[in-house]
Amino acid sequence: MTQKILTTRMEEHPSDSHTLARYLDTGGYATLHKALADMSPDDVAAEVKASNLRGRGGASFPTGVKWGFLPEDTRPRYLVINADESEPGTFKDRLLLERDPHQLLEGIALSAYALDVQRAFVYVRGEYSKAARRLQRAIDEAYEGGYLGAGIAGSEFSLDVTLHLGAGAYICGEETALLSSLEGQRGEPRIKPPFPAIEGLYSMPTIVNNVETISNVPWIIANGGFAFASIGPTTSAGTRLMSLSGHVATPGDYEIVLGLTWRDLIYDVGGGIRDDRPLKAWVPGGASAPWFVPETHLDTLVTIDDIAANGSMIGSGAVIVMDDTTNVVAAAHRLVKFFAHESCGQCTPCREGTTWLERILDRILTGQGRRDDLDLLLDVSDNISPGLVWPPAMTTICPLGPSATAPIVSIMRYFRDEVEAMIPVEEGSLVAREEVLLG
Amino acid sequence: MIPTWSADNQERATALIAQYPEKRSAVMPLLYVASLEHGYVTEEAMREVAELTGLTAAQVQSVASFYTMYRRDPVGNYLVSVCTSISCWLRGADDLLAAIEDESGTLDGEMSEDGTFTIEHVECSGACGGAPVLSVNWELIEGVEPDKGRALIRWLRDAEPETISADEMQVLFGGRRSFEWAVAEPEGAIAPLPAFAPYGTAREL
Amino acid sequence: MADGSVTITLDGVDIEVEAGQRLIDALCDAGTDIPRFCYDRRMDPVGLCRMCLVEVEFPRGMALVPSCTSVVRDGMVVDTRSNVVTKAEEGVIEFLLINHPLDCPTCDKGGECPLQDQAFAYGPGESRYVEAKRRWEKPIPISDLILLDRERCILCALCTRFSDEVSGDPLIEFKGRGNHLQVITFPDEPYASYFSGNTVQLCPVGALTAKPYRFKARPWDLEAAESVSFVDSVQPRTSVQASAGNVVRIYGVDVGASNQGWLSDKDRFIYEHIASPERVTTPLVRDEAGFREATWDEAIRLVADRLAEYKGSEVAGLGGARSTNEDAYAFGKFLRTVVVTAHLDAQLDDGLAADFAAAVTPRATFGDIDEAATILLWGADLKEEFPVLYLRVRRAVTGLGAKLVVIHPRRTGLDDVATHKLGYRVGSGAETLAWLKSGRKKHFKGPRAALSEGPVVALVGRTGLAEDPRLAEAVAAFARDTAGAKILPLVRRGNVFGALDMGLAPDLLPGRVAVTSKEGRAALESSWGPLPIGAGKGATEILQGLSDGSIRSLLLNGADPVRDHPSPRLASDALEAAEFVVAFDMFLSDSVVHADVVLPVAGLGEVEGTATNLEGRVQKVNPIVAAPGFARPLWSILDDLAFALGADIGGGSAEIISKEIAQVAPAYADVSWFRLLPGTEGIVVPGSEGTQPLQYIPADAGLAVSNAALTLHAGRVLYDDGVMVRHSPGLAGLAPEARVYLHPADAEALTVGEGDSVVVGVDGEATLTVGIDPSLAKGTIYVPFNQRGSAALGTIGTVTITPLDSGGS
Ligand SMILES: Cc1cc2nc3c(=O)[nH]c(=O)nc-3n(C[C@H](O)[C@H](O)[C@H](O)COP(=O)(O)O)c2cc1C
Ligand code: SF4
Ligand code: FES
Repeated sequence: MTQKILTTRMEEHPSDSHTLARYLDTGGYATLHKALADMSPDDVAAEVKASNLRGRGGASFPTGVKWGFLPEDTRPRYLVINADESEPGTFKDRLLLERDPHQLLEGIALSAYALDVQRAFVYVRGEYSKAARRLQRAIDEAYEGGYLGAGIAGSEFSLDVTLHLGAGAYICGEETALLSSLEGQRGEPRIKPPFPAIEGLYSMPTIVNNVETISNVPWIIANGGFAFASIGPTTSAGTRLMSLSGHVATPGDYEIVLGLTWRDLIYDVGGGIRDDRPLKAWVPGGASAPWFVPETHLDTLVTIDDIAANGSMIGSGAVIVMDDTTNVVAAAHRLVKFFAHESCGQCTPCREGTTWLERILDRILTGQGRRDDLDLLLDVSDNISPGLVWPPAMTTICPLGPSATAPIVSIMRYFRDEVEAMIPVEEGSLVAREEVLLG
Repeated sequence: MIPTWSADNQERATALIAQYPEKRSAVMPLLYVASLEHGYVTEEAMREVAELTGLTAAQVQSVASFYTMYRRDPVGNYLVSVCTSISCWLRGADDLLAAIEDESGTLDGEMSEDGTFTIEHVECSGACGGAPVLSVNWELIEGVEPDKGRALIRWLRDAEPETISADEMQVLFGGRRSFEWAVAEPEGAIAPLPAFAPYGTAREL
Repeated sequence: MADGSVTITLDGVDIEVEAGQRLIDALCDAGTDIPRFCYDRRMDPVGLCRMCLVEVEFPRGMALVPSCTSVVRDGMVVDTRSNVVTKAEEGVIEFLLINHPLDCPTCDKGGECPLQDQAFAYGPGESRYVEAKRRWEKPIPISDLILLDRERCILCALCTRFSDEVSGDPLIEFKGRGNHLQVITFPDEPYASYFSGNTVQLCPVGALTAKPYRFKARPWDLEAAESVSFVDSVQPRTSVQASAGNVVRIYGVDVGASNQGWLSDKDRFIYEHIASPERVTTPLVRDEAGFREATWDEAIRLVADRLAEYKGSEVAGLGGARSTNEDAYAFGKFLRTVVVTAHLDAQLDDGLAADFAAAVTPRATFGDIDEAATILLWGADLKEEFPVLYLRVRRAVTGLGAKLVVIHPRRTGLDDVATHKLGYRVGSGAETLAWLKSGRKKHFKGPRAALSEGPVVALVGRTGLAEDPRLAEAVAAFARDTAGAKILPLVRRGNVFGALDMGLAPDLLPGRVAVTSKEGRAALESSWGPLPIGAGKGATEILQGLSDGSIRSLLLNGADPVRDHPSPRLASDALEAAEFVVAFDMFLSDSVVHADVVLPVAGLGEVEGTATNLEGRVQKVNPIVAAPGFARPLWSILDDLAFALGADIGGGSAEIISKEIAQVAPAYADVSWFRLLPGTEGIVVPGSEGTQPLQYIPADAGLAVSNAALTLHAGRVLYDDGVMVRHSPGLAGLAPEARVYLHPADAEALTVGEGDSVVVGVDGEATLTVGIDPSLAKGTIYVPFNQRGSAALGTIGTVTITPLDSGGS
């Protein structure tokens, strides 16, 4: 339970865990040197595979398996680190970027070595200026120290790392949109297949991994894949950075081993609900995840599989907690508005549907709801995510559109009476919204 | 090269283009540099980036308009971005935004008449643990209660800081953070753009 | 391309489909209609409208996938009719309609609108959307030809992808994102593309409309005929559409072979000239006061009487490239058997040697371009002269992986996709070719290597009118000898290949037969009667003959030598000197004004017959409207003239002539109208039944290198000052004014700069504004051919430039 992998250094050395000096002083880059000297690229990849490491960006895909998809002989290959962290409720990659950037860089170097990659990119969301500065300084230090660049540590292995700053678009966190963006295009997701491992950046094989995922790699190589795999439940191996926010008493990032209950997580780790108010609902894994409610879920387990079995996902590890004061319709509206704002707009159902859902909720919130709106909300959702099942079916290219239906389904499932209560008894005639000229 | 750009920015543009296997990839960084040159992404700026990357101006416009941080209208000296996404909303972001609007006399989405402020609400800033949060020229402050927000606006108006630094503002106006930030950073933002040395937008305090 | 076939289960039934096919195509070929908005076979699928969703079985069960982005695989189980699919279809239609205005009654697309049709077929019937619709200012002009209504736009990206992927001028693009997404140009940078009209035709709603067509007709009033465009020798397939007896619109038709449905804006909007008030619609005869109207009887009589006064060899015929094959054949037969002259030429020495152009072997088709590993282009700037072929080559490079070597005196529209681009000074082509052959010089290594990887297709022609036509042949000889390249000779004018195949050249008889061929002559004489004896003269010799009096009369068939011959001076002198000039034409062109009799001919949309494009593909030309006034098809005029001269050339109808062609022209034995019905791909002659007696093997004539201080590049641009463009209001304004372009170093030496005026002398003089063009080779100046202001300039002779001292910079 107390095992820490990612946050040890920053906890022990709060003032300078981000510097090269401290990193070296705490054993940093030794693993890289050792791997370059003693291990073949395949050995490194094998350890990652054995670790059962699963992606921390949202989809929880086994990292070693993804790496195995790279076609044998197409070169160049690219490694792209997803540091676009924009899923509401999530702020754990920022922690790793600001507090321990060398850990990420060593992870990148080890991964690149394993994957026969000579060019890596880190795509940092534009709003993370401080994180970008810290990471860039770390990159500069690493080049100077010979941990990046040509012939690392006297070996044949060379690696260039480029930091690319985003500019305000959540959808660029979706891996193919991210690659489009990195190529200087609009950040629009591409049709999969082909997956990036086959056809990614500049149409070449590309591995996209999350910051947290790759930050685990130095520990895995230092301690062995098996050691990692034996931490926590088998299919949720290793530790996990959970971002707690909302009405918990002590919001923040917590590195935990999965397998505890939600009660433990919210009441022990998160310090309970502020002012000891009753817990009403929580979002278990970022804004895209269907909600949980205490009656049903408080004593279920926090593991990737248990959460999935209960119809939601661990996603990016963002837990958003709502107490009894929360107007759930307003909360759903906030979430839907986010997705509508962030839709890239290429798919008809997402472009039109998410805004439509937002407007219906907006009407309900302003006292203009109609009885039919409840079914309408569900049916419009159904037209974006057929059957409203979990994991979601999609009429769209990427999961952003369907994500917008999660809050709707959640409030209709658990709080339908509260939604109904907001519909005026006397349905007034609709006050048509002013039509605004967009341009 | 764009001869009207400062020598520094010309140099930056060359370096940024050289970073990528394909020129087109430099569009985003160059849009930041061009914003620095022109104050925001003007038509001229898009034409220049088009020239540097071998695209048409329409293509650059297409990219620029996709991302919210490329402003295509004039923007105040201080771009105040209040996060109103779910976690901040749960912790009073709407009140913070109202206080900011009121104190600055500037509505959400608008620039103050004297050009001091642009106020906007933004989606999740990735600082939910310190909610409610805002940023000034993309320098973050966490745990900002409405009164502190007002004080921040007054401070910006009175002190007119040339370089905006998260660390300095956090001490003055911030509260709970998502996590400890460790030591103070020596750099800050000189424009309503993310402060990042390779783009020329950062300066030593 | 994948071969073989695979089996898929479509709605419970096993069917065989072509392997590697897109699912949506396979389903449609199998007769299952799949609605779609963003898919077009000719472009990469993007799967964004989500209208074509079907359910496909995966290990974890059925899942919705877009059929446009899916590829068939063996054993694929597809359901197109499940409740899930139907519901998704209804959902997408409802989503598309919530922000779509209800202005169908005033929309140009109403009645032929895919959104309307699919909403009817697949939609839910009624909208539940009560919120405000998106509003945009409407409609806004995005170019001189195109208007955009963003409220109607359903954001299918067909137009933006066409402009980027197909035509390579991405000037119209998405802007914004999500619910604020729009299609738009950049401020002050209009969608000025030679291909913009294709986006109007692609647009599945009334968002993009063409100014010339706007509010001209309702779709249900339109009649249409499939035909081909005569704008250039690519002869793209068209649908000529008329309402109330007027041609109001031309659409491209996708029958695969000739143009894949694409048109240039010139192909598309040129039709306006046929209704021009300046069109000649009555026979005109000259008297002291000028032209006066005459009856056909009078005019025919007059022409017959005058022609009877001359010996056959004192009469010549020029032109034919604007005629159908049948008209061209009748013109040739009339000249050779009624007038009995051997002096005839469809070209104006603006093209290539007739035997090379018509009978080069092996000759490439457009299909060969798609299959080529390397394409050598040393001829025209395709974008300017053969725009639809430009699209084909562009796609072969960007989409099919061909290498492209471009050799041209200045930049061309294909440079951005060319694998290798070499410039050179006009006049030094022979030297450039020698370097290419040896491949030893630095810049020539790559191109030389590319040319040794087959299959190679060589597109060869004159880069401009100042270029020696024999250079193209030398290039063809090299490409053929080194790489076994197939050759596509680039001669631009509309039906010039048809005219050459019909024998409108001094050295050719109908059907690719050399005039010198004994058997060929004998075979033709058995049907035609005796042919004139002695060598015929070509265009330049004919003009010289007129000037020196050895030729006294001229029949002009749609030709404008004063504008189109390399020496306008020679041409106007010749026409001045001619005793009797008869013009068969639609307009009083700069040449026709010299005529003594003008006989009005039927034109685009009015004539029936066949035409032959530069591949040798014969396609059908169909009428849709009646010719105005007294204008008639050329063959019928010639029939009457022959009759008045006591002869019979066996006309009667274009179809009868066509049958005669099939009998007497060996290369056309295969051609019958029955095989050229709408929707068929046409016949590439000689086809399977025909024979090509003349198999022309190109040879290198060994050209000298010019050592002139300045040489001229006289390349053509799409919108010229030709008579058709001039009389098509939509296009006329697009023709740029003439300028002279100089290499910066040449400009410096002359101490002139951009915008200065200079007097350019080449076989004539013109005062032109200077433009600077660093893409030119030093020592070559560029004056686009046949533009407003440069008509007096020739293209052959010493080049001089004299700065005017006023206002130099
Ligand atoms: C709409 C959307 C947004 C996403 N945002 C992020 C993100 O901000 N950061 C991230 O690492 N992954 C994000 N992902 C997941 C990525 O597509 C991808 O799965 C991930 O980066 C792979 O890395 P991993 O295997 O290490 O988790 C997002 C996915 C979607 C559909
Ligand atoms: S689902 Fe939405 S965000 Fe995702 S590709 Fe489609 S329109 Fe873009
Ligand atoms: S046609 Fe397939 S998604 Fe549009």
